Amino acid sequence: MPPRGADIPCLEGDPAYDVRWAWNTDEPLRPGLTCVFRVKDEARNLPWVLPQMLDAVDHVVLVDNGSTDGTAELAQQIADDAGATDRYTGVAYPHRVSRAGSEHLATPPDSVHSLTHFYNWAFSHVRTTYSMKWDGDMALTREGVGVLRDLSWQLQGSGAVVAVPRHPIVVEHDRLAWIDLGSRFLEPWIYPMGPAFTYVKAFEWEVREFPPSSERVVAPEGMTIEVKWLEDDELAHWSPIEDFPPSRVQRKRREQEVDRAIRAGRAEEVEGIHRVESPDGVHVVDHLLTTWLRERERPLVRRAARFDV
Amino acid sequence: MPEPHQEKRRVVFVAGSGRSGTSTMAGALRTLGMHVPQPEVQADDTNPKGFGEPQWVVDFHTELLQRCHVQVSDARPQAWFEAGKLAGLEPLRERLFEWLEGQLADNRRPEGGSELVVKDPRLAWFMGLWRSAALRCDAQPAFVTMLRPPAEVVGSKQKYYAGGGQGARGRAQGEVQRTAAWVNMMLHTERATRGELRTFVRYADLLDDWTIPLFDIGRRFDLTTVQEANANDVRAVHAFVDPSLRRVQATWDDVRVPARLQDLAQQTWDQLDLLAEPDGDVPAVHGRLDALRAEYAEMYAEAEAIASSTTLAAHREGLQTMPAPVNAVVKRGADRVPHAVRSIVPPKARAAVRKAIGRER
Repeated sequence: MPPRGADIPCLEGDPAYDVRWAWNTDEPLRPGLTCVFRVKDEARNLPWVLPQMLDAVDHVVLVDNGSTDGTAELAQQIADDAGATDRYTGVAYPHRVSRAGSEHLATPPDSVHSLTHFYNWAFSHVRTTYSMKWDGDMALTREGVGVLRDLSWQLQGSGAVVAVPRHPIVVEHDRLAWIDLGSRFLEPWIYPMGPAFTYVKAFEWEVREFPPSSERVVAPEGMTIEVKWLEDDELAHWSPIEDFPPSRVQRKRREQEVDRAIRAGRAEEVEGIHRVESPDGVHVVDHLLTTWLRERERPLVRRAARFDV
Repeated sequence: MPEPHQEKRRVVFVAGSGRSGTSTMAGALRTLGMHVPQPEVQADDTNPKGFGEPQWVVDFHTELLQRCHVQVSDARPQAWFEAGKLAGLEPLRERLFEWLEGQLADNRRPEGGSELVVKDPRLAWFMGLWRSAALRCDAQPAFVTMLRPPAEVVGSKQKYYAGGGQGARGRAQGEVQRTAAWVNMMLHTERATRGELRTFVRYADLLDDWTIPLFDIGRRFDLTTVQEANANDVRAVHAFVDPSLRRVQATWDDVRVPARLQDLAQQTWDQLDLLAEPDGDVPAVHGRLDALRAEYAEMYAEAEAIASSTTLAAHREGLQTMPAPVNAVVKRGADRVPHAVRSIVPPKARAAVRKAIGRER
């Protein structure tokens, strides 16, 4: 039988990278939550990220976008070791994807080089009624695993979307990191699957649509950290942001502010930045995930700044 | 910030439908040395040996249920989403964390305990909230779910909770609603605790020989108090566990529910029963329970659609009891004028009045 027509044919005419939505097949979507990672060179972070995610959700789709550090192989190994081979789907997306910002703006949304098409193609592998995007550097606390595990069944039939607060950290070395509790990044990450919940192009990046009638739920603080490493150039996946008004790129500007302050040795002067040092023999990422966040007084983010994306 | 503490901390949550032996389980764990936060709800005729329920927990849950408009025995699958949303509210999370931290022993509070047991029939709705609080207290959460055949549970609830004033129709409705609520509660309690440290105990097994399930719980959850219980503690549990408490042993012959619901409830029981077997808590059973949960949600949606006229009528009736302006839609000014009088006014005049007051159609 020939493959059915594409729901979103790609501009370049390669049928392997057309988007075919699962809800247009005869197979109904299964109840449950699938986590979709789009990753490039995340082998360093995956051991903090993937085992916990496999513990939390019904299925994981990992889309590797040209990693050179063995990310795809490591991810498969982690899934196998966790006994989750049948709940894990690893696929490759070999096309260069435009960087967020002005480069994205200049790329047609149905091109294989567009973030919009990349996301739609990645999510076309989902076979459950709910899906969430996640980054390869976002690690869950134990409490976070429980929250996602609950949402994976409680959301069924609700039509709600869920925003997940995350706390960026910058690791200076194995025992020292800086955590940003000075701003609250609130972006919906969890959505129902269906034609009303697909990705469309925005100015700087892609956005996922949802009907105004969808209830919006906010997950609790302290469930996930976003791990950046000081020695890496974490802002490289962005094209210059100077073309955009400050109000549109607040989050990126905050990240730049924090990054520059740490490099200049004046991180403690930035409001909301906390120095975290782990005990001997404990990696600072583990310390943050198991102890520091748990013991920290609530609310974690006290400053008024809140960035809705 | 939590106080530093030396001892390992455990919180055992006893879940399951009411009338399934949850009080007996909580009482047995308490008698073996686990700490039940005080004061407890007083015993009564429905539970002469006591409930094992901390009053604070009951009050907290009652408040939460009111906030999310969910009943203790709610048959709506959607109720889990409504109750679950509360787990994201930081003020509630903080209240529960502070209370739980206060119950767990440290060097300055010897009256607390490092191994707590928390039981309340409302607990299942808020397990995510409790798990988060336990983890913030650096305590290992563990879950015991009590199992009892649905016909017995429904029969027992009808006997002890329904009161004597039910007519035949009310009794039939009560049995159907309680059966549906049992299915909803049990299927979702299983889902909520999947992946956690947990065990399932049949009420009948607990009453037949409590030493087997309690020994298993002590070892599985690494509970020092249970594993090191002395002879006096054991004697006390024998005195506490009274097999005659299982006073209702109804079957489906005694409970009248539609065949499709009965079949679903029976299948649910058959799968849950497997979870109580050694090594029975396996993915194959989880898969069948997932399918039953989906089937129940579908059945409930159908029933809701059939009964939507009743729901709408109740909604309108409720609106009428509200003060203005909530009831403005129901009680328009025109509605206060009898129809016979309104019909005397010529259509043109009615249109002119509408235009004058800005309510043109």
